[in-house]
Amino acid sequence: MSDEQFDDLIERVAAELREPVALRPDFDARVMARVQQARPRGMGRVLQWLVAPRQVAISPLTGLAAACALILGFWFALAQGRSSRMVAPAAVERVADERLAAEVEVVRFVLVAPGANAVALVGDFNGWDTGSTPLRPVGATDVWSVEVPLVRGAHEYAFVIDGREWRADPAAPRAGSNDFGPPNSVVIVGARAS
Amino acid sequence: MIPDSDAEVISRVLAGDTEAFAILVARHRDRFARFARHMMGNREDAEEALQDAFVRAYRSLGRCAEPDRFDAWLYRILANRCRTAAARRRRRERTFVSDDRALDQAWSRPEVERSEWREELARALARLEHKQREAFLLKHVEQLSYEEMSVLTRDGVSALKMRVRRACVRLQLFLKDGDQIRGQHV
Repeated sequence: MSDEQFDDLIERVAAELREPVALRPDFDARVMARVQQARPRGMGRVLQWLVAPRQVAISPLTGLAAACALILGFWFALAQGRSSRMVAPAAVERVADERLAAEVEVVRFVLVAPGANAVALVGDFNGWDTGSTPLRPVGATDVWSVEVPLVRGAHEYAFVIDGREWRADPAAPRAGSNDFGPPNSVVIVGARAS
Repeated sequence: MIPDSDAEVISRVLAGDTEAFAILVARHRDRFARFARHMMGNREDAEEALQDAFVRAYRSLGRCAEPDRFDAWLYRILANRCRTAAARRRRRERTFVSDDRALDQAWSRPEVERSEWREELARALARLEHKQREAFLLKHVEQLSYEEMSVLTRDGVSALKMRVRRACVRLQLFLKDGDQIRGQHV
């Protein structure tokens, strides 16, 4: 077979394989049903919404108005505090805190990272954002640590060293198959008996 | 009206609008269905791999570093799903035809709904090694550049060029084999 015939054959093959492939008509519905099942619920969803990074665009005029409103609100609260004793908010906050506390536990993440200049925690709870949860060095040791409030359930996470090296937690179980690169670890919050 | 870009849709999903993910599914499913179909060799496995890929993409959407290149990211997930599913299937059963006797049997089985050429091609494709099949499909069917393929597969450009070349040569040989087998059966 000449080069020309060979190229022609490969082009015929490729052209045939480029033909559209039919999916079952309910494919989208089946995917979305599984997506709905995978969607975080309750506090997990709220927390995800709170921690998901997003860009907000406002005009300078709106920004100025918002700043004025904040200053006025702060001034008004101060004036109210001086003229009458503050009541109620502390109790309301306490109830809210108690409800939240039932769903949230503070988890300490620790990593021994000799020679590291910076260590960040990334996970499904902070949108895998390397900038949102830095660990702090513990004294002059190689130990880095951070405490994070997490809602009950399983969370995947990993450490990022010096902004580039992705590392699973050696002290935690590994997550299942990871299609996106290095392995992650899993922490299960609320697993202990209450 | 200009449709939302992938990055805009992803922002909406991350902000809690789960239903917006359906836009990404509708936008990309056909192209990826073709890749999955040719990688897996049958519709059921292809649809399962593609579904898995979309759901995994949804779960990890916050980790999509370049939302404007969602399709490239999804390709990588799907390629991995196909690889995992194929390995699992190889362990479970010998689905792909891999020896001459099985090839003969497969050839004699009536497949009325498909053309001869398509059947022959599907068998030849199935006989390629997984990585060669993937490289051939990405290059010649999905028409990606070697640089794009390198990003997806994390293999070097030279290795990919070699793999595509070998896939082409082997396809030609397998298709020639098919001609001979067909000749024996006529």
